[in-house]
Amino acid sequence: MSKLRLNGVSKAYGATLALRRGDLEVAAGEVHVLMGSNGSGKSTLCKIIAGSVRPDGGQILINDKPVTISGPQSARVAGIGIFYQELSLASHRSVEENICLSALPVKAGLFVDRAALKARAARYIALFLEVAGEGFHAEALVGNLRADQRQLVEIMKALASEAPILIFDEPTSALDRAQVDRFFEILRDLKGQGRGIIFISHRMDEITAIGDRVTIIRDGETIETLKLSETNPATVIRLMVGGASDMPAARSSAPAVVQTGAKAAISVRNLSGKGFRDVSFEVAKGEILGLGGLHGQGQSALLRAIFGAGTVTSGEVTIGGERYDARSPRDAIRRGCAYVSGDRGRDGVISGRPIIENVTPIHYLRDRLMVARPSSLRDKAMPALEAMHTKFASLFHPINSLSGGNQQKVIIARWLIDRPDVLLLDDPTKGIDLQAKADLFALIRQLAAEGLGILLYSSEDAELLGNANRILVFNGGSVTRELTGDDRTRYNLYQAAYEAA
Amino acid sequence: MSAITSFFKQPLIVALILIVALLYLGQSLSPGFASADQILRLLIVASLLGIVAAGQNVVILGGREGIDLSVGGVVSLSAIIAGNVMNGADGGILPAVLACLTAGAFFGLLNGLGVTLLRIPPLVMTLGMLGVLQGLLVVIRQGIPSGRAAPGLSAFVTQPFAFGIPGIIWLWIAIGLFMALMLNRTVFGHRIYAIGSNEHAAYMAGVPVRLMRIGLFMISGMFAAIAGLCLLGYSGSSFANVGEQYMLSSIIAVVFGGTSLAGGKGGYTGTMAGALLLVILQGILTTVNIDESGRQMVFGATLLLLMLFYGRGRAMRA
Repeated sequence: MSKLRLNGVSKAYGATLALRRGDLEVAAGEVHVLMGSNGSGKSTLCKIIAGSVRPDGGQILINDKPVTISGPQSARVAGIGIFYQELSLASHRSVEENICLSALPVKAGLFVDRAALKARAARYIALFLEVAGEGFHAEALVGNLRADQRQLVEIMKALASEAPILIFDEPTSALDRAQVDRFFEILRDLKGQGRGIIFISHRMDEITAIGDRVTIIRDGETIETLKLSETNPATVIRLMVGGASDMPAARSSAPAVVQTGAKAAISVRNLSGKGFRDVSFEVAKGEILGLGGLHGQGQSALLRAIFGAGTVTSGEVTIGGERYDARSPRDAIRRGCAYVSGDRGRDGVISGRPIIENVTPIHYLRDRLMVARPSSLRDKAMPALEAMHTKFASLFHPINSLSGGNQQKVIIARWLIDRPDVLLLDDPTKGIDLQAKADLFALIRQLAAEGLGILLYSSEDAELLGNANRILVFNGGSVTRELTGDDRTRYNLYQAAYEAA
Repeated sequence: MSAITSFFKQPLIVALILIVALLYLGQSLSPGFASADQILRLLIVASLLGIVAAGQNVVILGGREGIDLSVGGVVSLSAIIAGNVMNGADGGILPAVLACLTAGAFFGLLNGLGVTLLRIPPLVMTLGMLGVLQGLLVVIRQGIPSGRAAPGLSAFVTQPFAFGIPGIIWLWIAIGLFMALMLNRTVFGHRIYAIGSNEHAAYMAGVPVRLMRIGLFMISGMFAAIAGLCLLGYSGSSFANVGEQYMLSSIIAVVFGGTSLAGGKGGYTGTMAGALLLVILQGILTTVNIDESGRQMVFGATLLLLMLFYGRGRAMRA
């Protein structure tokens, strides 16, 4: 008998098909692993089961009976508990209250029954007591805990639902070895009780340690379900990558000119900071260095730190041979650094203001301007916008009147009036259309040919493989592998990203 | 149809229509309300409010819940400083101006430092500063006569200066031009809008956000100080809490003029219309014998009403 079965579940967001066809069968007493790359549809699938996203089509069966899950509350009633990847804790409340938050014990129909709450929470706290570390106790405020301890609370909260079907979406990302081992022991207990468990992780070693079966999702479609005892990591990765996985990146895609003789455009030695550690590399003038790996392995943190918007604890950066410590983006810009973020709504767009004011801020700073004369600014802004093939009616229309792709072009154009020496690209094509992507990469290669040193992080592997001369693969905040020449294949990239260091 | 509706939805247009309507109403309630002399007097009073509102305007435009509740305290303090420095002598005008500007800039600096370095929300910081200023006023005034305006200053505020129009109105027009140029044609102005619209993006584009914000509070303090000086010229001598009314009315004038309380949107031209509108409203309320407390109630209700029209949805949400 299957605990949970999904038949052809689908979900579209506007024109984007997040989940084309999801088929999944979770048996009682098994840990079922979901694997797929960023944006393949895993999270959408989990959210559908947990009731926070409503599917457009398909069928959900629990214990072989069709059910309709209309919201998180109805999922809970149907017997589904979920661990959320983005933690959902109340930081000003205590550990025990958080654990019981979804079903506070009540007496007289009105008052919180503190004794019952304490007793219930204590059961789950006891499970992890030996591995939780210092400062962890029932009355501690969640906001004062370390990241790994907060993740443990989230796990306890999911366990406290006592649901027959449990979903864990990357529950181990912050945990240390001992905590993971303890968690896996608990999962094995739950298996023994006949619960159905869905488990998502990007660590191949964990998956083989705890999983019974694995279902692979690629491009919004569940491809295949395998018994983990009858397969090996290479097969799983090949299925995730899909066809043509061993083809090296097209040779023509690598820009030709790399000025190796000259001083490096930027060099980074033993740089550590919040989110990354001991990173070293050099980028030659004219080179595009790709940063690869799974999302959030330190690539963005590194780029922001170089730009002066993050924290550096040790190590050094030199630009054009000179020591460089940016304390703020303002410093970094003056020293010839440019940074383009994929999160343009937060980092880039000055919303509600005219296009021209969105193109000129870097020019103001680098030319130390005081007066903003529209006519001379127009002469500066137009060539930069045209280099990006930006479509707009007038420089004085608000930037919000443009499409996402054109907004991003405006943000990039602001760096083109006064050329930087180093360009930091932090997933720059997120949420923009294909034409804009093509325009953007044509420009990036042209800039490289002009002698800029370029660092490119992209969550789309095709962009890295197609544009970077070299790729550094990040795992857990440090570089675990460097791919050059013919080694730059999808397969190698995935393998380096998913294999534990 | 939609072009016409959007034209009438522009705050500046709404304000101008309301100004004409209110003048008409005032004239019908009390003949002579809209006479040339009366309108000049209203303009003088509006100038005082408009000058305070100029500072309030830039602080609000700078966003992050920017607001300066201490302007009233600075106006009162400045009037007392000016009165004591000049003490009825024309020769004391220049030193008084310098003293007032310094005081205004100083309290603005404190506000700015509190908001940026200590991360105190502007609402709390400037409200606290207002309390400090009110206490300071009590201390200063103990046993000391509050001083008198110099005749030159009084003439500047109340007597025709050029083309039959008092100097303070010319000053207000000059400030209007200055603000328009600053906001639209200088890098500083563009940066005000940038930090008000998206502070983080501005920071990532190299805008010195903290320095800017401190500067905005200093500008606000200095405009309030100028207004305090002129207020002394208008009333002849200063009395306690003469500036109190400006806290609420300067905010209403800014919001009336179409500046969003969430920052990054609006300008000073609308604020000028807003100030004029408020002063006319005040005049009408006085004409129909509504006392000060009644006027405050009407003002408060006006602000809430305005928020309903302009501020719904986006405003005040960061």
